[in-house]
Amino acid sequence: MRFYRHELEKKSFLIVDDFGDMRSMLRAMLQSIGVAGIQAVASGEEAIHSLEKAHFDIVLCDYNLGPGKDGQQVLEEARYRGLTGLGSLFVMITAENTREMVMGAVEYEPDSYLTKPFTKELLKKRLEKLVARKKNLEAVERAVKQQAFEKAIQLLDQQIAEKPRNLGELTKLQAELCYRAGDYGRAALIYENALAVREMPWARLGLGKVLYAEGQLEQARELFQQLLMENEGLTAAYDWLAKTLQAMELPSEAQELLQKAVILSPKAILRQRSLGELALMNGDGATAEKALSQAVRLGRNSVYKHPAIHASLARAKAENGEETAALKILKQMDREFEGNREAQLYSSMVEGMVQAQLGQDETADACLEQAKGLFDKLGIGVSPELTLEMARTCGRLGDLEGARDMLRIAVSNNHAEEGFLKEVGAVIEDLSLDQDAAHFIGEIRSEIVRINNKGVELVRIGDLEEAVALFEEAVGRMPGNQVVNLNAARVLIMRMQERGINSGQLGRTRQYLERVRAVDPENQSLRRVQSMYQGLLEQAG
Amino acid sequence: MIFSDILASIIHDMKNSLGMVINTLEGLDCDQGRDDQAQSKQVRVLQHEAKRLSNKLIELLTLYKIENEHISPNIEELNLCDFLEEIAAENQTSAEAQGVRVAWQCSPDLNGYFDEGLVRGVINSLIGNGLRYTRRELLVVAEEEDGYLVLRVEDDGDGFPPEMLAAQHAIDQAGNASDGNTQLGIYFAGMVAKLHRNRDREGLIRLSNNCHLPGGCFSLLLP
Repeated sequence: MRFYRHELEKKSFLIVDDFGDMRSMLRAMLQSIGVAGIQAVASGEEAIHSLEKAHFDIVLCDYNLGPGKDGQQVLEEARYRGLTGLGSLFVMITAENTREMVMGAVEYEPDSYLTKPFTKELLKKRLEKLVARKKNLEAVERAVKQQAFEKAIQLLDQQIAEKPRNLGELTKLQAELCYRAGDYGRAALIYENALAVREMPWARLGLGKVLYAEGQLEQARELFQQLLMENEGLTAAYDWLAKTLQAMELPSEAQELLQKAVILSPKAILRQRSLGELALMNGDGATAEKALSQAVRLGRNSVYKHPAIHASLARAKAENGEETAALKILKQMDREFEGNREAQLYSSMVEGMVQAQLGQDETADACLEQAKGLFDKLGIGVSPELTLEMARTCGRLGDLEGARDMLRIAVSNNHAEEGFLKEVGAVIEDLSLDQDAAHFIGEIRSEIVRINNKGVELVRIGDLEEAVALFEEAVGRMPGNQVVNLNAARVLIMRMQERGINSGQLGRTRQYLERVRAVDPENQSLRRVQSMYQGLLEQAG
Repeated sequence: MIFSDILASIIHDMKNSLGMVINTLEGLDCDQGRDDQAQSKQVRVLQHEAKRLSNKLIELLTLYKIENEHISPNIEELNLCDFLEEIAAENQTSAEAQGVRVAWQCSPDLNGYFDEGLVRGVINSLIGNGLRYTRRELLVVAEEEDGYLVLRVEDDGDGFPPEMLAAQHAIDQAGNASDGNTQLGIYFAGMVAKLHRNRDREGLIRLSNNCHLPGGCFSLLLP
């Protein structure tokens, strides 16, 4: 690994620490290393502001930043919004007593943790090492960003073959990428190889995720339970075990487990949210209210802030008989998400339910009408969960026809999502729609399957003209269905490969791909059709 | 909040203040240049003592966590050269102040599995201790031996007295921390070693004399 001394000196630094003394100390350390480009700020908010305005090569951020955003939230927002580019380093400075708390955050990890106190020499050594490694990983990161996982995995193969010092880190990264690319077999192999050398929680956890993804729930459950027995502090294992239990239709066990996990790491907003929503489903209003209040509070400084959390909290309050408090939450939500249509939809929906509970039927009906209007305006941007929520709301407010429409949309947009369809079935039975759930879902599904099969047959006999017509007609009726969108894009590309590029068809192809990417960027078929599309463009020059 | 929690949080605060002191002293030392040798030496003594104090506080905090919070070590695969390079850099200034050279030695492709923070704490303490007994050199060695990763801190002082060598098994088992300063360090190292487990084996510590250097040699064996 090559490294030139002056590289560190040329880097631009952002220091984030709420203590003035600490800021000047870090600045002095960097200056003595020879760094000139240094900016220092005192809070997470200022850090985000600085990152919005300028590019920094290296961010040194303390985890504890007083009131407001903490270091993890700065990291999440910076990465989520792409404020720190590829090749930028984020170093989290922690005191040991926060280390475990920080480790609970799995979604975004910093490039390195540095535990206080540390000396100038250690800082320098660590930064030099990180800069050199980051440089070697640049091509891999670029590929990952473009969702070109196969390429990233291949690049890692080359690096691993050279047996570098950070072999462990690279192997772990490669396994994760195999998992994300859906190559579960290879991911499992890497994890098993690592475990053959010695027992390691990250590898065991990875293996559990593979089992879960492959639907081997019983084995996944056993594995996560064992892992937790040996590592009580491993919060990610709680999340995965809870997920597994939910998939096994054991919601109260899942809730119990998440309750334990939030005691260990009370600051994890996503976990508080899952717990709250699960408790709400289980009819445990008290737990739901507590967890969701936490999630709303934590959301204030977080990229994971979402109107659905406020909406669920309002529902929990209503469930607990606190209608006035529920309406107050909705008001607060309207203010916090001003101009956000999805938030307005959540708000009208929940308000409708609360008003009905208060006996204000007319207001409730008005809310429902408003919600329906917003739903239509949002179009295919509505998430499956939100569609289902609309169905529930219609049903509870006595609009059974509306509920049926929503359920139809929910099924036809997600006809291949087994887990989701189970939920749809539960709602149908819940609302006593006088309808057999299996029959209702089955009919819509078989229609879509029929279209897809017919399309495949048309492609086989070479009638692309008809196949395009068939899928485009289907897309018109089911604009939110990923499979139909992808098939329409695929046959359009095949047709253009044969007959040459047509700008109208090219535009529609892009639109169909875009729809899928918006809801499921890691969809594996999407990546395949995407590369067909790239190939078409290259072929046309 | 129980008393030990309050104590831990105070120690934590003290440790952070001390961190500021250490780094401010370092700044002082750099600013002064060479014109005031005597004062510069005083600053270095202060720095060294502050660092020792800081290591002790870290030991205390870690012990508190081991006993009260059932911490599970965060085992990662690490390259030993990277690790030792950082350790040597970290301790270089205060060692130089005492005219001691800190050297390290390991094969470039040696990787090991351990909790970086915990083991760093142990090695730093051992170096801090070693600085008191050594003459001109401290050597940190990492190597593999019978399936254990062995981390050794060696000095060229007089070595451990025979009583201590003889009593080390008792230390292992009972964790007797009664005999002052060195013993707390040994107890701490032993606790950290025990937290490292692989299958049916757990980590341990060994005291010996005359390894590569003529003085004492403290080994941390991790499975």
